[in-house]
Order: sequence, then C-alpha cells, then structure tokens
Amino acid sequence: MKVTIKSLWNTVSAWHWDVNEECCGICRMAFDGCCVDCKIPGDDCPPVWGVCNHAFHMHCILKWLNANELQQCPMCRSEWRFKSDEK
Amino acid sequence: MNFNNNNNNNNNNNNNFNNVNNINNNNKKPLTNSLAGTPPAKKILVIKNLKQIPKTPDNYEDSSWSKLSSAIASINKKESTTLTQEELYKMVENLCFDKNLASNLYNKISIQIEQHITQTLRHLVMAMSSDPIIFLKSINSIWKDHTNQMIMIRSIFLYLDRTYVIQNSNTVKSIWDLGLFYFGNNLSQSNLERKTIDSLLYSIRCEREGDEIDRDLIHSLIKMLSSLQIYTKFEIEFIKETNRFYDMEGNNKINEYEIPMYLKYVCDRLSQEGERLMRYLEQSTKKQLMSVLERQLIERHIDVILEKGFNTMVSGDRLEDLGKLYQLLNNIGAIQKIKQSWQSYIKQTGIQMLNDKEKEPTLIQDLLDYKDRLDRILNQSFLKNELLTYSLKESFEYFINTKQNKPAELVARFIDSKLKVGGKRMSEEELETLLNKSLILFRYIQGKDVFEAFYKQDLSKRLLLDKSTSIDAEKSMISKLKTECGTTFTAKLEEMFKDIELSNDIMNSFRDSPMTQNFKSIEMNIYVLTSGNWPMQQPIEATLPKEFLEYQEVFNKFYLSKHNGKTLKWQNALSYCVLKANFSQGKKELSVSLFQTIILYLFNDIAADGGELSFRDIQASTGLPIPELKKNLLSLCSSKSDILIQKKSISNSSNGGGAPKTRVIDETDTFLFNSKFTSKLFKIKVNSIQIQETVEENQKTNENIISDRQYQVDAAIVRIMKTRKTLAHNLLISELVSLLKFQPKPVDLKKRIEILIEKEYLCRDPENAMIYNYMA
Repeated sequence: MKVTIKSLWNTVSAWHWDVNEECCGICRMAFDGCCVDCKIPGDDCPPVWGVCNHAFHMHCILKWLNANELQQCPMCRSEWRFKSDEK
Repeated sequence: MNFNNNNNNNNNNNNNFNNVNNINNNNKKPLTNSLAGTPPAKKILVIKNLKQIPKTPDNYEDSSWSKLSSAIASINKKESTTLTQEELYKMVENLCFDKNLASNLYNKISIQIEQHITQTLRHLVMAMSSDPIIFLKSINSIWKDHTNQMIMIRSIFLYLDRTYVIQNSNTVKSIWDLGLFYFGNNLSQSNLERKTIDSLLYSIRCEREGDEIDRDLIHSLIKMLSSLQIYTKFEIEFIKETNRFYDMEGNNKINEYEIPMYLKYVCDRLSQEGERLMRYLEQSTKKQLMSVLERQLIERHIDVILEKGFNTMVSGDRLEDLGKLYQLLNNIGAIQKIKQSWQSYIKQTGIQMLNDKEKEPTLIQDLLDYKDRLDRILNQSFLKNELLTYSLKESFEYFINTKQNKPAELVARFIDSKLKVGGKRMSEEELETLLNKSLILFRYIQGKDVFEAFYKQDLSKRLLLDKSTSIDAEKSMISKLKTECGTTFTAKLEEMFKDIELSNDIMNSFRDSPMTQNFKSIEMNIYVLTSGNWPMQQPIEATLPKEFLEYQEVFNKFYLSKHNGKTLKWQNALSYCVLKANFSQGKKELSVSLFQTIILYLFNDIAADGGELSFRDIQASTGLPIPELKKNLLSLCSSKSDILIQKKSISNSSNGGGAPKTRVIDETDTFLFNSKFTSKLFKIKVNSIQIQETVEENQKTNENIISDRQYQVDAAIVRIMKTRKTLAHNLLISELVSLLKFQPKPVDLKKRIEILIEKEYLCRDPENAMIYNYMA
C-alpha cells in the first residue's frame, strides 16, 4: 500500500428536504429556502405532505387551512389530510 | 450746624453777631456761655463773615508771573529753576484763589508754551536733515524734551490744572493737552508731520526689506503720533504702503518660490508683521494690517497656491506645509477652497488606483494605506476640520463606487486573506484593527450585496476546509458586520456557524452509535449543511473507493433515521483527507483533496513501483470531469510536491519538455507514483487548490448577485408603481436609482420593466408609451 487514509476524512454534505418539487406551490419559494414569513431556512420551516402527495411549507399550508373553511389541498382540491410519517 | 442755629434762634442772632469777630478765635465762647448760664437746648453757634477780605499785594500777579515765566523758560532750556518747585507751586496756588488771576495765568502759560514749541520746531525745520533716520532721531529728541518739560511744567502748575482747568473743562485744555495741541498744530502746519510719517514708513520699509532699524525710536515716535492724535493719518498711509509693498512682493514670490517655500514665506511675513504690531504699532491697526497681508499674499494667490502646490503637498505627505496652508486659509475663511482641491485630489488619485489593473491584488491594502495617509493629513494638518472630514468621506465613497462591483469583491477577498490560514501571522490586536479598517472601506461601498456574496463564499471555504485562523476572529467580524448592516445582513452568515456547531454534535452522537463499529480506523468528520444557507456548487460526481462509499452509506442511514423527510447530497469537492504515504525516504502525511485521494488510491492497486497510469485510465476509474481531474493532477505533479511524475506522451514531448514551469496536463499524458519523493516537511499540503477560488465560482457568485438584484429591482418597481399608479419612464428610473442600494444600469432596469409588463404588473399607457400604469 502506498497510501492509506491515516486518520482524518473531512467531508461535507448538504441536506435537502426530500421533496420532488423545487418550490412550495403556495409561496413559490424553494423548499430549501423558507416560507415568506421565515427568515432562516432549516428545521424551523419544514415542508409537509398531504395524502395527495402535494408538499407545501408547513407554515404556508397551515395559513391556507386556517383561512379557508374547506379543508382542501390547494393544488388538487382533494380533501387535505397530513400524510403520516410512515415512510 | 451753623445754618440750623441761625434758623431756630433768630432772636439771638444779633447778640452773637457782636460777640464773634473771628471764627477761629471765638467760636467756643458761645458754647461755654450757654453751658454755664442757659439750659442746653439754647446752644448757639454762629459764624460771621470776615470783616475784610485779605488782599494780595497789587503787584503780586506780575511779580509771581515773572518768576514763573522765568522758571518755565529755564525748564525749556533744561536748566534748573532758581526757585524751588515748592515755592513755585505755592505761587500758583495763591494766584489761583482769584478766578481772574487764574485765567490770566493760564493764558500766559499757554502763550509761552506755544512760543517755545514754535521756536523749537522752526529750528528743526531749518536744520532738517535729509536723512530720514537722523530726522527721526532729532524729532524724537525734541518730543522727548517736550514731554519731559511739560511734565515738569505741569507739576508746577498742577494747582491750576486742578482748579481752573477742571472748572472750565469745556473751554480750556489741561496744560498737558495744551502742550500736545501746540506741538501737533505746529507739526501739521510745517511739513514736519508729512516728513515724520514718510520717514517712519521709510524705516518700516527698510525693516521689511531685512535691515535692522531702531525699533525703540519708531515705537516712541508712533506713541508720539497717537498722543498727538495723528496716528490715524499715519495708519492710512501705512496701510497703503503695506498694500503696495505686499502686492509687489506677493506677485514676485509666488512666481519665484515653490509653494511650500511660499507658504513659509507668508507665515514668516505674518509673524513679522505680528511682531511689528507688538513692538511699535497700535493694536487697533492689527485688523487692517492683517487683512492687507491676507488679501495680498493669500487671497489673491489662493488658486495658484492650490493648483500648483496642493496635490504635490498631499502626495508628498508634507504635513507641516499643509498645516500652514490650512491655518492661512482658515484665517481668511477659505476652507471651501481647500475642500474643492481636497475632494478632487482624493477622487482623482482614488480613481487612478482603482483603474490600475496591475495593482489589483494589493488594491485594498493600498486603499487602506491611502486612507491612513489622508486621515493623518486630516488630523494633523487640517485639525480634524469638520467640513474636510465630511468631504473626505464623501469623496472616498464617490470614487470607490465608480467601479461597479470590484471593490466590494476585493474587500471581501482582503478580509478572507487575513482570516485564512497561511497568511502572515498577526497578533489579535493587529488583526482587529485591520478588520476595523477594512470595515471603513466597506462602509463606503454601495454594493453591500456583492460583498456579502463573496464573503459568504470565502467564509464557507474557511469553515469547511478548516482554514480559518481563529473562530473568535470570524465571530468578531460577523458581529462587526451586524452592527454595520443590521441582523438580516448577517443572519445567514450566523446560520453557517450554527450548522458547523450542529454538525459537531451530530458527529459526536454518530461516533458513539453502534453503527460505526467497523469504521474505527478512519476518523470521519462530516459537516451537514442547511443547503439554503450556504453558497453551494453543483455536486461533482466521482467514483469513490468502496470503503468511502460504505462509510457514507452508514452515515446516511444514521442521519436519516434522526431527520425524517430529508436527503443528503455529498459535496465531494469540499472534502479532504489526511493520508499516510510510504516513500522510500520515509513516511509522510499528505493533506489532499478527496479527488486526489481517489487518484492516489488507484496507484495502490498497481503492484510494481514503476507502474504507470494514463490520463484516460485515471479518468475512467475515478469518473471525474476532465477539468476537475486536470486541476487535481496538476497540483499532485507540481514541482513543490511532485508526488506523481508526469510523463508527456511522445507526440507531445516537444512542447512539454522545454517549459516545465508552466505545466499543462494533457489528456495524452501518463503518470507514475514518485516513491523517491522527498521533502523537509513531514506534513505536506497539496489541497490548496480547494480553497482557491475558481473562475467558475467567481462567475457563479456574480451571476447570483445579478439574479438577486433582479428581484430587488422588480420589487422596487412594483413598490413605486403601487403608490404612484402612473408614472413616466424617466421618473420611474430616477426613483429606482435613489431607492436601490446599488447602482443599477438603466439598461437592466428597462429590461426588468419589460418583463413586469409581460407579467402584467404594469402596462404602457395607451396614449403615451413613455408612461406606465400600475395594474392592480
């Protein structure tokens, strides 16, 4: 062996939200960014999924649901239910 | 008391009148009488007029006058008087008891004084010397004699002065004034006055031209002029003469001297004239004299001085001369003029510095030095004048923003170079002051977003590649930026620090978890970043050796088990390893990038020492993009750390053999492991390419800035239009320019307006295409 890893491997990874779409359908901001009301992207502004598999910023969809009597997904108008974390 | 008694006791008046002959002798009598006989209430005191007024002898006036007159005469002849002053004084006193006699006496004295003065001065006129100095001396001695004599005469006639003169002060002059009056009159009637003034002016001119003169003489004569109240006449002439003199001299010297010399000359002249004022002129002349000097020597030449001398003095750092200039111009209230030159100098020089392409690497340091130099001039020469302090700031801000984004980028670069490992070692205080100084430049820069972008880029590399000299210094820099620009500006930067800290926590719990049992041999350190906070590059794909992949996989599982709904993307370009390498000369530690590690690992699989790998082989096994591969190979082969030996293929050897210094990696080259590698150092760093900024990165950062700015422009346009509803094109542009924090190009603004029209935020007015309407 000419070279071996001695002791240190310093590496970098970036985490992203595991979302298929780039950005939130409500605020049009990237999921890796944050919703319009937040300043800092990260764990404080997560996306959530409905059973219809549409994802929004949690803050955005909550705002939507609070403002509308019909609890519908704004994308497909099916009844909105949060997808549980069975993944 | 007398008066009282008279009123109350009318009856007794007659009585007492007879009794009292003489006040002095008899005024006790009634008192004793009344005490003896009558009750105390009837005390009476009466004073009677003299029966006859004592008279002076008839010829007293004449005889005493003749004595007095001869006394005056002998005083005038500078002889001693025959009678004592006491006797003379008594005589005067006696004469003054009678009003008429006093008045006669006064008239006689006045005639005698006048005669004497006229005579003396006539004498002088006859024997007048043409030499002004001798003339001045003789008139001075006459004046001295006159004053001395007048003092003596006055002391003899003091009683006259105190009674007769004071009682008739409206019509009569005191004896002293009388002397002055006749002296002055005689001077002005003969041409002596003219001559005196001319001679004085002549002497002053001599002194101005550098000759020694008898200052006491001049002083005494000037005193004489003011005593005689002809100083104002002299003053007018003097100012005229001064004006003439400095008009000429100023014109000559400004052409003859260099500016610093000229300033020195002016200062010297000012202090000389100041001394002149102190030594023999009246203080009341000061204002006029100085204003003549200032006008003739400074005000008239101010433009020439500034034009010819200002820039060279500033660039030559001539603090003292500039101090003089400031003092002089400040005195005449011409700071505004300095301000103009100061501003144009700062701007000109600054723009020159910015445009000097060759000096770009040292530009920021140069600018800091430049600022230091200007500050020194401002503080020491210009005494921190407020106006000039402000214009320094303004001018700096002006020129630094003439070049769009470059200065902002360079300031960020500069700070990076100071915070990065590998630069010159500095103490904490030095670093601190340096950072503070660069912040001053930062303050002037309008494109703060540019700075932020580049700073972020550099910061991320420092943090991830562990190249930061001190986390404390980093944090202090952030807090400085925070106070400068507010929390939103630094929020993302602070998040970056949080990510690093969080990653350390994650790593600790990861190492403790049972999943890492099989990987104890390698200490892995992983930074997990929130992608939104970091300036991210597109990940570069590469084929990692199996053990690396396994490790990554384990961590992936570990991380995702804790954080649902996330995925990890590996930024391989930012990872680096420390390798243990066995060379024939001994073991070394190599700090290399991950990609370099992969390349070196390929040589492990070749058993023989002399095994070669071609560029294409390497590329195929690592899967690295060609430019990235070339870059990594190049630093492995570089002359400083030639861990790999590059062999040019035969077809290309003619190019490559000749110039080994400018190495180029060709796709036809082959490489072999240099087992004879030697170095003085045990630890060898090969991964410096990672921290260097690539052209693509720079480009990307710039693109990001531009796209970020687009949003700002869009938002600003909508904001303005929302309040205005309709607005003409030019007005909109000018409002935008004032609203935006950077200097936008009008073309770009136009483009954004077009796009907003397309998006139906705005529309053109149907009647006038230059007017926009806001669409709700």
